[in-house]
Amino acid sequence: MTATVPAPARTRGSRAGASRRSGTGRDPLERQQRRLFWPFAAPALLFYTVLFLVPIAYSAYISLYKWDGMGEKTWKGFGNYQTLIDDPTFHTSLENTLTILVVGGLVTFAIAFALTLALREMWGRMFARSALFFPCLVNAMVFGASAGFIFHPSGPVNTALRWAGVDDPPKWLSTDNSFSMITAIVIWSATGYYTTIIMAAVDQIPPYLYEAAELEGASAWGKFRHITLPLSWDVVSVCAVLWTVSSVKIFEIVLLFGTANTNPSVKSWTTAMYVYQSAFPQSAVPKLGLAAAAAIVSLLMVAVFTLALRRLMRRDPIQF
Amino acid sequence: MQILPRRPAPLKIVGRGLVWLLVAVTLLLLAWVFLTALRDTRDIFQHPFGLPTSPRWHNFAKAWNQGGFSKAALSSVYVATVASVLAIVLSAPCAYALVRRRNRMSNALTLVFAMGLGVPGQVLVVPLFVGLAKVQLTNSYTGLILVYTALALPFTVFLLTGFFASVPRVLEEAAAIDGASGVRTFVQVVLPVVRGGLITAFLLQFIANWNETLFAVVLMQGDKGTLPVALIGFVQSQQFSGMDWGALFAGMTIILAPLVALFSWLGTRIIQGMTVGIGK
Repeated sequence: MTATVPAPARTRGSRAGASRRSGTGRDPLERQQRRLFWPFAAPALLFYTVLFLVPIAYSAYISLYKWDGMGEKTWKGFGNYQTLIDDPTFHTSLENTLTILVVGGLVTFAIAFALTLALREMWGRMFARSALFFPCLVNAMVFGASAGFIFHPSGPVNTALRWAGVDDPPKWLSTDNSFSMITAIVIWSATGYYTTIIMAAVDQIPPYLYEAAELEGASAWGKFRHITLPLSWDVVSVCAVLWTVSSVKIFEIVLLFGTANTNPSVKSWTTAMYVYQSAFPQSAVPKLGLAAAAAIVSLLMVAVFTLALRRLMRRDPIQF
Repeated sequence: MQILPRRPAPLKIVGRGLVWLLVAVTLLLLAWVFLTALRDTRDIFQHPFGLPTSPRWHNFAKAWNQGGFSKAALSSVYVATVASVLAIVLSAPCAYALVRRRNRMSNALTLVFAMGLGVPGQVLVVPLFVGLAKVQLTNSYTGLILVYTALALPFTVFLLTGFFASVPRVLEEAAAIDGASGVRTFVQVVLPVVRGGLITAFLLQFIANWNETLFAVVLMQGDKGTLPVALIGFVQSQQFSGMDWGALFAGMTIILAPLVALFSWLGTRIIQGMTVGIGK
């Protein structure tokens, strides 16, 4: 993780070099690079426009129509958004997404900080970090399906609980509990990722600050509150944005949690699942306009949260 | 200060215990998926914690053949590889151009790519499905590859921008003085320097494509599904006959094994790629 240190310094160096030369204007390299700008940038830009930017605009456009994907589109104006406001299923989906975003986010960051502190100067920390990191690389459906067995009424967890004398273990996989279980799995699998990022930031805090604080009798909490947190704040604020984006996307773990049913109960839907189920229902008429409206709402959610987080978490930069 | 080594605080001991507990849970879970894949379903339920007595490779054969994981694995490897390479071929020159030309236009374009990082997949899924259906590219590898390439662009451009920015300009100046054209300088001087970054970008995109589920499920409802589609299909097919857990875990092993292999081989690179650049 030390690689974070030299990179910005080098960047600054090369940029300073670039600006020094741009003044002359007759630099052959400068001319060469100006000529090559469009040929180099255009292919990616074209691809990105056709398959990314235009679809976003198209989503916004069909969110104003009623459309089953085959027949004619009929104008609905903001009717689809009105339908979303009135739809209890959408309320549940939105509530679930917000729960993961806010509650899940706070829990994840609390655990990530706890793990970062515990990992400081620990024997085998790099190995531990790698093991904690790995789950974020795995398709969450693997965990969802595994949970279907691990928490099966006659699976390992309940067997262990029975040995321990618990006769009435919770119904882990019931539709009422599945959303809490999904949240727990999301938190567990993301924690290692955020721990790694926060660890890299905390490693850069000079140790003499802690030594000075210790000499002045600061408690562990005091050191965390007055040194660790303020000096890693920028990274935490970026992580908060990353968390926002990734939690709005949550889809596959909802699709395959447990294995009894691949048609998840409405109680565990997220906004991504709502879009999927409205646009590609198993036995109903597709509502592409409604799906697009829900998609636009989730995009707005990312935008609003990102802006709010950047605003709320902005601090004057601390030099150290 | 203190001469004697201090005893770690009790809080620290609890914290470290928690770390190792979490590490153990993760590793045991993986080991357990692999081992259970070798056991008979009936046996699995009688002794949930048992070890395979005689390994049943039959589970793998069943997942591989009847479960459709063999074709899905090939589809996944093909789509993930081609889409990742294509994303890098498109992103590398673009990121280089954005880094080296600093004006209002290139800053605006960098921002447009960066904003793509915040767009959740569900915003694109309906339009891309409609669009690809119109040109008959649903249930087609080409269609999925195009989609994965486009989805990869914001992150790959962002990642490679960081790597290109760290290339000293002196190298290109030397090449220009020697009379190399801009394209030649890029291909023969700059790209070799950022080779590490290109490998990292490929790895991360390969893993992302390997796991991608939403678009795979929507676009590949035919016989060309990737591994996530096969996993869902397998669970669906077992819904009424009772789950063949042995074969299910064998299927999940097929999904997990390449990730475990990549991570144990190139873990540091993967971790750095996913976390560096965030601290800036």
